[in-house]
Amino acid sequence: MRSFTESPAAAVPARRMADSLSAWNRRIHYYLGLYLLLFLWLFSFTGLLLNHPRWTFAEFWANRQQTSFELPIQAPPPGGDLVQARDIMRQAGVHGEIDWTRSRTDPSRLDFRASRPGHIFEIKTDLQQGRSTVQRIDLNAWGVARILHTFTGVRMTDSRNQRDWMMTTLWALSMDALALGLILMVLGSLYMWWSQKQKRRLGMVALLSGLLSCGLFVIGLRLLV
Amino acid sequence: MNKRLYTITRDLHLYFGLFIAPFVLVFCVSVFFLVHAWSPGANEPPGPKRVVSDVALPEDLENLGGRARVDALQIVLAEIGLRGEIGYVGHNVNKRTLRFPVVVPGRETSVEIDLAARTAAISQRDTGLGDALVALHKSPGPHLVDIRMNWLPMGVWRWLADGTVYLLLFISISGVYLWAVLRAERRIGLALIGAGAVSFFGIIYAVIH
Repeated sequence: MRSFTESPAAAVPARRMADSLSAWNRRIHYYLGLYLLLFLWLFSFTGLLLNHPRWTFAEFWANRQQTSFELPIQAPPPGGDLVQARDIMRQAGVHGEIDWTRSRTDPSRLDFRASRPGHIFEIKTDLQQGRSTVQRIDLNAWGVARILHTFTGVRMTDSRNQRDWMMTTLWALSMDALALGLILMVLGSLYMWWSQKQKRRLGMVALLSGLLSCGLFVIGLRLLV
Repeated sequence: MNKRLYTITRDLHLYFGLFIAPFVLVFCVSVFFLVHAWSPGANEPPGPKRVVSDVALPEDLENLGGRARVDALQIVLAEIGLRGEIGYVGHNVNKRTLRFPVVVPGRETSVEIDLAARTAAISQRDTGLGDALVALHKSPGPHLVDIRMNWLPMGVWRWLADGTVYLLLFISISGVYLWAVLRAERRIGLALIGAGAVSFFGIIYAVIH
């Protein structure tokens, strides 16, 4: 029932605004869903691959191709390890995210890994001799897909490795965008569901089942165990 | 028939979506921690160390390996009042010790068992909600295949994580169907699918090549 203070004239624009909000919420839900569809399928499918490393059809490490070559290197300009590594990569024609696999103890050597999904380059450089040895590993499409899922350039437990390749940053932003898009879709879907009065009860059962089962793992186990 | 299919698909899309909504939020929020290496709870100090003595150790524990050792250690954990998922077990042969983490999402306990003295040194650290989300996102994951999911709740989580993916795939496919039925939105929808495909393949091409 409308309150005494609310005039019919004021209620019409409010109703219109609610309808418009509802229509836009629905549009944004499927616009985002359609735009992010391929990203969602990639991360869903590779998530399954990561959780099932014994699925033999997706085997990639055993099927890797390895080649190695040596090349002369001009002394990189003075500077930090990153500057020198980038210069050596430029000379070797290698692109990718630099991964410091070991700490540098000998100033006449510079050893590091450069990688991008599907390709790994182990680069070992003798600066005194002016030579680099490059071991290249190429992975198949399953390897590419699986690495895309985790290709962030950073690790939680390793502060030495920072994102240093523009393409890694771009991919990391894509991951952020997908996560943000899905969060917006979830929140929008809650609004859409609540607007359908006849579906509230069954929807509440579904949502509460999800909340309770998920909440058990996120918070509950810590409190119960 | 078409109307019935549409109604059933729309209802399943809604109810399955509502069920997995909390799981999707767990996976999405934890993405920000993982992508930017924000390590929630990493600086939380461990609690005081306590030592449990006279621990009954299964026979031959020292000679066990892999899953058998982890299953045996789960029995030891129950005896000393601990529960959780056992991670990598480090065996120091000279010192005759076994060292391993025990993880409950949001809490990590470090356990060192002295096989000779039959003692267990335990140190616990609460790592918080953010770390719980990250731990769940990464479980079960590709590592320690032989020993992982050695604690029943994490075994259940594996099913839920897989189920979330399968339902997400169903929801995305049914979502495409529900959109395709709306004739008024086809043009803009196709444009968005096209834009998404160009972004997707463009970025992947740039990253790989």
